[in-house]
Amino acid sequence: MKKKSVPLLLSVMMISTLMLAACSSDGGKTTNTGSTGTEGNKPAASEGTKEEASENEAPAEITIMLPLNIAETPPDTIKNELEKLTNTKLTYNFFPADTYEEKLNASFATGSLPQVTYLKNQATFLNLKEAIRDGEFWEIGPYLSEYENLSKLKEQVLNNTKVDGKLYTLYIGRPLARQGVIYRKDWADKLGLPEPKTTEELFEMMKQFTENDPDGDGQKNTVGLADRNDLVYGAFKTLSSYFQTPNNWGEKDGQLLPEFMFDEYVQTMDYVKKIREAGYMNQDFAATSKTDQINLFTSGKAGVYIGSMQDVSTLDKDLTKNVPTAVTDVNSLITGPSGKYGIWALPGYNNVVVFPKSAIKDEAELKKVLAFFDKQMTPEASNLMFWGIEGTHYEVIDGKAKEMDDKDKIEREVKGFKDSVIGEVETNGRYDGYYSLPSRIKAEELIITNEQHAIHDPTAPLDSATYTEKGLQLQDIITDATYKYIYGQIDKAGFDQAIETWKSRGGSQIIEEFNAAYKK
Amino acid sequence: MVEDRSLSGRTFSIVNYVLLAIIGIVTMLPFVHVLAGSFTTSAEMAIKKFVLIPTEWSLDAYRFIFSTDTLFRAMTVSIGVTLFGTLFSMFITSLMAYGLSRKDLDGRRFFMFMVVFTMLFSGGLIPTFLVVKELGLIDTYASLVLPVTISAFNLIILRNFFQNIPEGLEESAKIDGCNDFGILFRIVLPLSLPAIATVSLFYAVTYWNTYMHAILYLDSSYKWPIQVLLRQIVVLASGMDSGASFDGEVPPPDQSVKMAVIVVATLPILCVYPFLQKHFAKGALLGSIKG
Amino acid sequence: MEEAVVLEKKLQSARSPKSSSELKRRLWKNKLLYIMILPGLLYFVVFKYLPMYGLIISFQNYKPYKGISGSDWVGFEHFKRLFTEPDFLNILTNTLILFGMNLLFFFPIPIVLALMLNEVRSSAFKRTIQTMVYIPHFMSWVIIVSISYVMLTMDGGIINELVSMLGMNKINFLLSPEWFRPTYIMQVIWREAGWGTIIYLAAIASIDPTQYEAARIDGAGRLRQVWHITLPAIRSVIIILLILKIGDVLELGFEHVYLLLNSMNRSVAEIIDTYVYTAGLQQGQFSYSAAVGFFKSFIGLVLVMLANKLAKKMGEDGVY
Repeated sequence: MKKKSVPLLLSVMMISTLMLAACSSDGGKTTNTGSTGTEGNKPAASEGTKEEASENEAPAEITIMLPLNIAETPPDTIKNELEKLTNTKLTYNFFPADTYEEKLNASFATGSLPQVTYLKNQATFLNLKEAIRDGEFWEIGPYLSEYENLSKLKEQVLNNTKVDGKLYTLYIGRPLARQGVIYRKDWADKLGLPEPKTTEELFEMMKQFTENDPDGDGQKNTVGLADRNDLVYGAFKTLSSYFQTPNNWGEKDGQLLPEFMFDEYVQTMDYVKKIREAGYMNQDFAATSKTDQINLFTSGKAGVYIGSMQDVSTLDKDLTKNVPTAVTDVNSLITGPSGKYGIWALPGYNNVVVFPKSAIKDEAELKKVLAFFDKQMTPEASNLMFWGIEGTHYEVIDGKAKEMDDKDKIEREVKGFKDSVIGEVETNGRYDGYYSLPSRIKAEELIITNEQHAIHDPTAPLDSATYTEKGLQLQDIITDATYKYIYGQIDKAGFDQAIETWKSRGGSQIIEEFNAAYKK
Repeated sequence: MVEDRSLSGRTFSIVNYVLLAIIGIVTMLPFVHVLAGSFTTSAEMAIKKFVLIPTEWSLDAYRFIFSTDTLFRAMTVSIGVTLFGTLFSMFITSLMAYGLSRKDLDGRRFFMFMVVFTMLFSGGLIPTFLVVKELGLIDTYASLVLPVTISAFNLIILRNFFQNIPEGLEESAKIDGCNDFGILFRIVLPLSLPAIATVSLFYAVTYWNTYMHAILYLDSSYKWPIQVLLRQIVVLASGMDSGASFDGEVPPPDQSVKMAVIVVATLPILCVYPFLQKHFAKGALLGSIKG
Repeated sequence: MEEAVVLEKKLQSARSPKSSSELKRRLWKNKLLYIMILPGLLYFVVFKYLPMYGLIISFQNYKPYKGISGSDWVGFEHFKRLFTEPDFLNILTNTLILFGMNLLFFFPIPIVLALMLNEVRSSAFKRTIQTMVYIPHFMSWVIIVSISYVMLTMDGGIINELVSMLGMNKINFLLSPEWFRPTYIMQVIWREAGWGTIIYLAAIASIDPTQYEAARIDGAGRLRQVWHITLPAIRSVIIILLILKIGDVLELGFEHVYLLLNSMNRSVAEIIDTYVYTAGLQQGQFSYSAAVGFFKSFIGLVLVMLANKLAKKMGEDGVY
């Protein structure tokens, strides 16, 4: 009974979407004839589409599924404006972020993915690659050139999202490298410490923050670094960049090898180990959550926080509530023993959008959807989705957007859409944020500087079958060994042993596969 | 309760009281912390970490929560689903539990085994989702009730209670001309009030805690029950979802807001048990055996 | 002679109670009962048994977009993978040990607590303590673990501050393998003991109070009364809960352990469910997680059947 009705149901769905497609493709027929030979017709076709869109066509009906990262689903305020700007009729279906994958899979299994499907993060994308290879989604690469704004998307980032050299996704951009050091400037000033520019100076700062009573209350109740149980987004990986460790994978003797097989990685472990053993950081960091880490800093107990520099806004806000005289500062240009500066970079995106063939029946419909995204990549639309409505949610100062005072309103009405904006400031033309906090302004500048020193992960656009199957599981071996080394439970020999275990359980294959893909 | 005025009896009582009091206080601590945290500012939460009595009282957290109608809406959904679901489940479960408690019902053991089997083996999320979909229940409130109408555990408990009712009562009822339905509703259920109250509570709590099914089966977010809202706030903040894709983009919410949401989402169901405790008054009806 | 025939007839019907006409008679007599159980049976068939075909994915390489009919068959490959996992024995042992602790330390507590509560004369006191004790059940594990963190951390947690005031070394509750199990079971007791009393209190409420009077008159003290009257009365409930708990032998409350798990205590904290989460679910390997689930269910079923048989042999009501 089961097996017979699922295909039946799917056929019913297919037919009904076909019927929908029949209606919407009537308007698009005139443009289609021009698009089959894209190169020659490029200028004509795109002009044609634009004119048609604003004059003849009925609004395209698009359903979108995306993760919800705030507490409540946003009201239609932003959506209504967006519809006007893009000549569409939109249905946004938000689903809670932490169970988004289950919803995604259930929808996938029942063929009910909508025309525009946001994934959740890079990990979900990885899991979906096989489905992509099996033709479940539209390859949009060839169409991008038809769209003025979509073609502006950064080449490098697009490359990072390709599957077998083909492009199926639009990406939501993120700055390449936001990591840096946030510290208590008032403490540094009190103790006569300069801005830390080397790992040595940073160590010294942590030491003095712990031992020399920087808050002046006569008690030894402060600590240098507050870290958490995350080797990647916590302090470790950022510190490892200062020691010039490669980002996930690097080249050694003509071969790609994982970062933990490099001396620099061990140097980083030694560095953190020293800090911990001396008591200059929270002892339980391997079990500390982000909330507790933030608490350590904002309650005035810890003086150094290594993570995303953009966090300084919230940290500063909460910190000054508790310690009104506190002052924060940031720096990311920290060099290690080599004297050179580098910082690990993300692939430039944190989420992607895919276009299921089960929902978009033909090329014409696909083009309508792409047209929507094309319009989204204009300053007007991007600003709307990222900042809100000018005058209501934000105002423009010095050509930058400043959030207005009703933070709750912004959170409720705008924030939900914020993470769905395609591209980034340079490509979609939206306003940069206007910040009044000095350390935040500096953070933004540093983020831009970071791009020039970015250490990229060479395996970002590559695939390894073994990694897809058990990469995460194997990574635990290394993560555990790293922590144990830092906590002094194993020594270098023990760590090397862990590497051997990693290799024998599949790591060697991963090395082989990535190298083979790299050489291509 | 039978009185015992002897010395050993009194020592027993005192030790008992003291121990229970200690246990009560210790187990209450986390909730007191949550309650206190909801009435204070997040600044204090950060400093004192484990607050039991706030020094700085503030209703900000509650003001924030109640400023939209989302909370009210979710609460209404949860209350509705819980009330209706519990009644419906109790009805169906009681019928089945009673039927299966009759020792001369052929196939009894087979049916019970079938039930127990489902406690251990399950077809999984997606096949169940497909069944729900084919029944046309997607995006309906019914999808929060029908697929979980009977909890095998509750069924087994209820059946066990029914089995322990002395057979003599049924015999005399049958002689009086009652059919099975009559026996169930007139004799067995009134005698099983403690069990009914208990199982109703279990169902109520399960319905109140609906989360996963709501996410899977409901597409419209205005139909979401309160636990979805709650989890969004609490889990997001704790960073358990450290896919960290939004590092620094969405700051964790106010600690005290977190606490307030917990209080608001938990308080209603917390009140149900004391309310039901009245029905634990025992013994009076059992006197009917003698008579 | 006549008696022998009557006896013979009685023996016959006792020996073959399922003789056709007997059966039909009973079915008809119980027709209302069958009608009663019908809606419930329907529920189980539709929502529990119909989806059971999903168990097949344990033997496939299931991909959601391919559906079950479209995914490849791999037989016992996933089970092989599980059993040849180098850490399998360790993970299994961890799971069993936590289960054992649960059974030994946690299981009796709600019973004892219920008995204690029952002995309280003041119903106001009783009701207050009852309510207080079952509140933690409503706190999610996320909250309980984060509150525990605040209390147990070496960086200023209350418990450790006390410990160092007493002149001892600070205890690494959160990270050391030795403290994982005690911390785990303490949290379980903290959260669930009170909730567990509810069912026992309900059972106790059905006891005829005249029994206690009779015992008093016979000179039995409070403890004796508890032992001889209260406990036996709730025996059947205890047995049932015990059997059901045994079925959960490999099922351990994933969220709780996952929150406590970290790199330092993994050797004792990694249980089957957390292992499957990383190895299976996070990497989109439905079939593998399904196969592991199948394995857990299978073991649970075997044990439940054994436990049930044992209970019946001892003259108790089983779960079926």
